[in-house]
Amino acid sequence: MKELLLTALLGIGILVLDILNLKKYVLPFILLALATLVGFIAADWGTIETPFGQTMLVYENGANLALGVFAVVLFFWFILSSSYFKQHEGKTDLYALVVFSFCGAGLLASFGNMAMLFLGVEILSIPVYVLAASKKHDLASNESGFKYFILGSVASAILLFGITLVYGATGSFDLAVISNFIQDGKDASIIMNVGITMILVGFLFKISAAPFHIWTPDVYQGAPTWITAFMSTIVKAAAMVALFKLFTGPFQFYVEANGYTIGVIAAVTLIASNTAALWQTDVKRMLAYSSISHAGFLLSTIIGNASLLSLLFYLLTYSIAGIIAFGVIKETQTLEGNPLKGLYRRNGVLAFAFTAALLSMAGIPPFSGFIAKYFVIAQLIEAKYFALVVVMIITSAIGAFYYLRASLNVYQHIENAGRIVLTPLIKWTYILLTALLVLLTVAAGYIHLL
Amino acid sequence: MEKLITLVPLFPLVGFLYQVFFGKNTSKQLTTIIGSGAIFASFVVSLIVFNSQLHSHHAVTVKVFEWIHAGSLHIDFAFLVDSLSSTYLLFITGVGFLIHIYSSGYMSHDEGFNRFFAYLNLFVFFMLILVLGDSLVTLFVGWEGVGVCSFMLIGFWYKEHANNEAAKKAFIMNRVGDLGLIVAMILIFSNTGTLNYVELFNHGKIASLSPSMLTTIAIFLFIGAMGKSAQFPLHTWLPDAMAGPTPVSALIHAATMVTAGIYLVARNGDLFEMSHTASNLVMYVGLITALMGATIALTQNDIKKVLAYSTVSQLGFMFVALGMGAHSIAVFHVITHAFFKALLFLGSGSVIHGMGGEQDIRRMGGLKKYMPTTQKTFLIGTLAIAGIFPFAGFFSKDQILAHAMEHNMPVFILLVIASACTAFYMFRMYYLTFHGEFRGTHAQEHHLHESPASMTIPLWVLAVLSIVGGFIGFPHAMGHAIHFPHALDHFLEGPVLVAVGDMSVTVEIILALATMGIAAVMIYVAHNIYIAKATPVLEDNEITSPIHKLLNKKYGFDELYEAMFKKPANAIGHAFATVVEWKIIDGIVNAAGTAAEGVGALARRLHGGHIAGYLLTFIVGLIILLGLIFKA
Amino acid sequence: MALVAAGFVVTTMLLTHLLGPKRKTKIKNEAFECGIESVGNARTPFSIKYFLVAILFVLFDVEVIFMYPWAVNFRELGAFGLWEMFTFMGLMVVGLLYIIKKGALNWEK
Repeated sequence: MKELLLTALLGIGILVLDILNLKKYVLPFILLALATLVGFIAADWGTIETPFGQTMLVYENGANLALGVFAVVLFFWFILSSSYFKQHEGKTDLYALVVFSFCGAGLLASFGNMAMLFLGVEILSIPVYVLAASKKHDLASNESGFKYFILGSVASAILLFGITLVYGATGSFDLAVISNFIQDGKDASIIMNVGITMILVGFLFKISAAPFHIWTPDVYQGAPTWITAFMSTIVKAAAMVALFKLFTGPFQFYVEANGYTIGVIAAVTLIASNTAALWQTDVKRMLAYSSISHAGFLLSTIIGNASLLSLLFYLLTYSIAGIIAFGVIKETQTLEGNPLKGLYRRNGVLAFAFTAALLSMAGIPPFSGFIAKYFVIAQLIEAKYFALVVVMIITSAIGAFYYLRASLNVYQHIENAGRIVLTPLIKWTYILLTALLVLLTVAAGYIHLL
Repeated sequence: MEKLITLVPLFPLVGFLYQVFFGKNTSKQLTTIIGSGAIFASFVVSLIVFNSQLHSHHAVTVKVFEWIHAGSLHIDFAFLVDSLSSTYLLFITGVGFLIHIYSSGYMSHDEGFNRFFAYLNLFVFFMLILVLGDSLVTLFVGWEGVGVCSFMLIGFWYKEHANNEAAKKAFIMNRVGDLGLIVAMILIFSNTGTLNYVELFNHGKIASLSPSMLTTIAIFLFIGAMGKSAQFPLHTWLPDAMAGPTPVSALIHAATMVTAGIYLVARNGDLFEMSHTASNLVMYVGLITALMGATIALTQNDIKKVLAYSTVSQLGFMFVALGMGAHSIAVFHVITHAFFKALLFLGSGSVIHGMGGEQDIRRMGGLKKYMPTTQKTFLIGTLAIAGIFPFAGFFSKDQILAHAMEHNMPVFILLVIASACTAFYMFRMYYLTFHGEFRGTHAQEHHLHESPASMTIPLWVLAVLSIVGGFIGFPHAMGHAIHFPHALDHFLEGPVLVAVGDMSVTVEIILALATMGIAAVMIYVAHNIYIAKATPVLEDNEITSPIHKLLNKKYGFDELYEAMFKKPANAIGHAFATVVEWKIIDGIVNAAGTAAEGVGALARRLHGGHIAGYLLTFIVGLIILLGLIFKA
Repeated sequence: MALVAAGFVVTTMLLTHLLGPKRKTKIKNEAFECGIESVGNARTPFSIKYFLVAILFVLFDVEVIFMYPWAVNFRELGAFGLWEMFTFMGLMVVGLLYIIKKGALNWEK
């Protein structure tokens, strides 16, 4: 529980630092706090006994692990994005918003009550609406924030409607009570099913699965690149963890009854995103579609009887690749024309990291994206969703094409390439993250030990 | 001893990591020492393991670490050491080492020297994983890994757009093959619950499958093999892959990676043995590929393209052997082919190096006096591939032919034609390159020089191997008569299917003499056309001119040769090259691409950018979803 | 059944949309202001400061509501409730200081 308190206090702490005119200490403070947080999480690893009597928030081992994944990704996010935020006037405000959103992610990992679920979703999302529009004088950023806000509100409304319907059917917000209600053999009424479907839709929006994904390319493209990186990694991961918790927990009966429908959603997501990505000329937009296609994989974990661990492994792998890819795009964004072309000549580390990230997303060994997808596919095979597996494999082959096209671009020859200079810290962070993509493949073997 | 096996892939990996982290500040000498040294160390360990296998003949599984435990899927990252994998180890690391040494000379002026060695080491690492893995999953990791390395090496000179295109083509063609492999893996796993070779074959899990399922699995496995081993119709990437540096062509696209398909089929031999349909498919695809490669090679004038099509054709030979159930002979041909094809590619690299980058054999000629070592070793390689006793190619090819003769007469005849073509085009290339008058520019003539020792020494080593390498597989009947056993078959028996024919000594000798006689005639024909008569090779634009114009030229007997051998072969070769390759196959590939893009355009239209439209989609999505939930 | 029902709804909606006569006049398209003629443009710019002050007022105003139930249950909650309220008010103060620091209440800037 102290981990969750720490995330909340961290946000307040940033505001206090700003009040005290200590802006330059903000980033070290955040990194220190996140490191402490990871330390706490590691210390509590696997030792938390499910607290008795606490029902609003249940911070157990799974939540601890999920928060750990978010914290690690956020830690690297802060390091890599530091050069961008350095020039930003409202740096502390943005940092505070990111941390508050992270706090919401923590709630989504540990909610034990529908009210907390909704609070978590809102705390996660509202700062992001602001962040997406944080480039005040950029029209695209404004548009992005505005669209995300309107559509996000509608999704929240649907989610809230769903929660009330479930409350109407069961008479409780408490997940334990809802679970018992089903297990006691009472029939799930139509109201209950409609409610759960609406909750599902609310989350499908957040993880951008078809057909609720169409906002994603516009919003991702318009938002400042580092905010896009945050949205596509931590925000998405948190929503996915909450979805997973709900639909493998109290709503499992729903998945059992409607697994086929959810499989269709995953398949449609994969097909729509991968075919659309083929057409993209803007690499940020392409990555947005790639992010959607990963939603297809993520969604299918709930029908494949996957463990939370394999989901978190997927999220970690994808998030690392995501922040590398968006980070590299940001580093090159100031260049004219086609900025990624010939990146190899400008900076070898960035080029290599970018290639590794894209190949990992494409699911090509030795990068851990392969193992992550493999886990999902293996579990789907066990659950006998063969058609979905075939769709996954075919769309992966299509995906390999556009990932490859983008990464080839990086190695094209250009004349008079100006160097991109990175500070040693950022350079080594990129190297470390790239190495992690490979090391996680090996580490996958130890997952069952956790 | 087998415990040491972990070291074998470890050394190249360390070499690769060293280049990645410290490569920039490392001198070329040190890079050479580390890069080649790593492979040499692997080679030494492989020798130790091989020796131990030679004595114990026991398959050993060495567990490296526990890897995937998801549900009922338990996969250890483990190596399976048996005679098949230890044989593959030996020639991967051995030939690999020689090519590393050669590269240090060949690439000495390249700015990407470190990068090149890093990729080569990484490639060897993945190739070793592919061969050593004890399950199809581990194999798949190596399989994809070599694919990626091959992709990076083909596009090594990334500054030229064409190289990137070639790399992409190779990658996509390979993905088609991989798809087959993945489907096969899924089918095996869902039906038997394991992907481990020992459990599948030794514990007989595979026997419980229905015949139709066996055939399906075998065919999908074979599609995987087709992609990697460049079999018709997935072969088009291999000639294009020649865009990479020549040592890469030698190592990856001739000696090792392309034989992964053979390995896959040989490793899962029991499966193919149980399915007649699949075996026949393997044989016929191999046959088509062998013939097609050989006929196309007749008309090629790029020295590396000739070798590329010859590789395609030889791989076809190997698949014919696999299809006939003679798996050990296919592996035998893999080994001898690794020796002489690596030799030929490295020799051609030496020629290209000496010619300053020129690859067209019409611009060469008379190189014998400038590059004596290259010429001698190249001749040895050419004799070996043509199948002349006692060179290595003779033994393996002869045994494939012998099996075909027992197995299926029409196949045998077609194979003999293919091998006759082989002798002809190889010597055509040899004569045009090394004999006659020099046909290039003065600047090129001035530039001509023998390659440095770092390049010629590997050539000699490979030349010696191409001479003596065949004796490890002395023909059964003949060997029995003179008490010279077929060492390789004895060694491989167990993990690999060994087919022993009941051919008499006399027939075996007559067949050997006959095939050699045909090869000799073809060599004589080539000599007559290109040396005695010094027929100029037509430029590309002249070939399309009407046939009678060519016949009007008075060549005496040459006209007859032309009509009998070259013209039909030219025509067939061209038919394959133009119609089959570009029209049909590219057409299919393009159509698939267009279809995918069409769906994409539809999906894109939904993204108009209007919020109201987005909201409408939401609501419609919600309604459809509710409809799906309450469809009952 | 469900399909027929849904189909009926969709068809009737489409039909009315397609068949219904559309006579657009200027007056018909005007905003309806309770019978009073509309004057000027509704989208006139006004100072963002009004909005800022208003939203901050709502924020702090609504938070104060939280003190009512606390005050009613003050005795039952005891010391624990008191400290909780101190924490809560502390956070509010940090927020207030923050907006002052950011100059959000500075009318003259």
